[in-house]
Amino acid sequence: MRAKSIVLTVLILAGCGSTPKPADPPRLKAALEAESDGAKRYERGDYIVATRRFEEAVRIYASIDDATGTSRNRLHLARTELARGQAEAALLALAGNAGDPTVDTLMLTAQAQLALDRLDAAQRSLAAAAGQCATPCPQLASLNLLRARAALAGGQAPEALAHAEAALKLLRDGNEANETANAWRLIASARLAASDAAGALPAAGAALDIDRRLALPEKIARDWLLIGDIRRKVGDGATAVAYRRALDVANAAGLAEIARAAALSLGATAPGQTAPR
Amino acid sequence: MSLLTQHDSDAAALRRGTRRFLFFALLVTVALVAAIVVRQGLFRQTTSYSFVANSAQDIAKGQAVRIAGFRVGAVSEVSLKDDGQVAVTMEIDADHMRFITHDARVELRKEGLVGSATLEIVPGPDKTRLAAAQARLTFSRADGLAALANQVRDEFIPILKDIKLITGALADPDKGLPGTLARIRESSAALNILLANGNRQVEGIGGKAIRVLGKAEDDLGHLGQTLEAANKRLPGMLDRTQQMLDHVEKITAEAEISVPPVLRDGSAVAADVREIVSGAKQTWPIRNMVDAPAPATLKADSDPRGEAGRAR
Repeated sequence: MRAKSIVLTVLILAGCGSTPKPADPPRLKAALEAESDGAKRYERGDYIVATRRFEEAVRIYASIDDATGTSRNRLHLARTELARGQAEAALLALAGNAGDPTVDTLMLTAQAQLALDRLDAAQRSLAAAAGQCATPCPQLASLNLLRARAALAGGQAPEALAHAEAALKLLRDGNEANETANAWRLIASARLAASDAAGALPAAGAALDIDRRLALPEKIARDWLLIGDIRRKVGDGATAVAYRRALDVANAAGLAEIARAAALSLGATAPGQTAPR
Repeated sequence: MSLLTQHDSDAAALRRGTRRFLFFALLVTVALVAAIVVRQGLFRQTTSYSFVANSAQDIAKGQAVRIAGFRVGAVSEVSLKDDGQVAVTMEIDADHMRFITHDARVELRKEGLVGSATLEIVPGPDKTRLAAAQARLTFSRADGLAALANQVRDEFIPILKDIKLITGALADPDKGLPGTLARIRESSAALNILLANGNRQVEGIGGKAIRVLGKAEDDLGHLGQTLEAANKRLPGMLDRTQQMLDHVEKITAEAEISVPPVLRDGSAVAADVREIVSGAKQTWPIRNMVDAPAPATLKADSDPRGEAGRAR
């Protein structure tokens, strides 16, 4: 009892003796709170509210002439718009950073351009990003993945595979599960495009495992679609099962576009290819 | 002596009577002459106008000249000119000069088709300028019976010709009335056949229509039953709805009173809580446990929707 009283007294004295933190100005605090809240919502997948919070943060940072904060939140906003599938809106958000484009700005621009099937523009943005990404470059793995995507979209499967494998190598020691899954998915796609369906299946499975662990429905559904495509190429009897799983996941998550694609693939699958996995 | 005196007085009386008679006769004569002179217009102020006509037919000296049916003067002279035309001069009372405009014309009219002719001065449309004294007016002659007869003849002759042509065409055995009647007969025969066919078809349609009407009657019967059922249930439903609305109204009225203060209280409470939490966050030792908002870093994801996996 006595010891407890002594400890409590020491703690109180220490608290009274510590230097109080200087408080942020109210508008800066409001901007930081909006940004922080937006980031939390982005992590939770609440992209619509995250977009609003980042827009608010951009506005407040701009009002206090904080260029760094404004630029950073524009990147957040673009990333959120891309996650929502709003590539045009992402480009609009990034237009504010066009005056002094950083590697992140260029990479997000390329990402939006790829989503809009503007392959040439994406290649140019990626080349510019690569020019700024000197060693050591923390974004190199993501840059390689984007180059792999661009190469795959351009029908250059070997080049896409090389970029994806290089990215996977860079990600091996890191803690970026998202990008690792993306790398596996790209490897699977590139192998499938290069008619190496047997090699593609385990890569797609690896991507699916990670995406399941991260609990990302859209990616899981697309992984199942990819697996279905690979199985169909291989002649596996469980092709329809893969498409069925994709359809179920898409329906449960309310992903109409993927559900439609899965239903079409399922409809086109031969009746003999329905054995369970 | 007395006889002579008596004779003298009688003669004087006779002379006085004779003088009185002669005086009165002279007065009456002068009055008659004056009346004649006045009647002839010798003391009236007149103005003369003239016109030229092709013929002096129905125009004579002393002939009355009228304006709007009122006599205003007379023809004073009718003479034949060197060129064969007739010059006519009229004397018009100065009082009526104001009716004779510069564009007035003189018309020779007849009272009815066969009555006596009169000269009528017809004022022109321009009333602003009057005709000057001695002015020459234009003349026209109204159509008489002969002119009318000629006009009627001119009108009738083409009509008669047309009648002749029409009757000729009607009498044509091919294109005229006989041919048309023959074609009408043929058409009526064809029409009879058509009507007979139509009647047969209408009878068929009528049968179908009767069936359709029968079905419609059945349907209407069902509808009537349905409406009857609805009619029976509707009052009850309306009553229940009315009760519900009464409840809702009551609740709304109560809420109107109670909710705004609650909301205000809630808002105030939320503000207080926010203030307390904010204050608590800044106090030791909680401030060391709560992360202050800081610039965020989002995890990189080059393919947030997994689109690279499969062609979209």
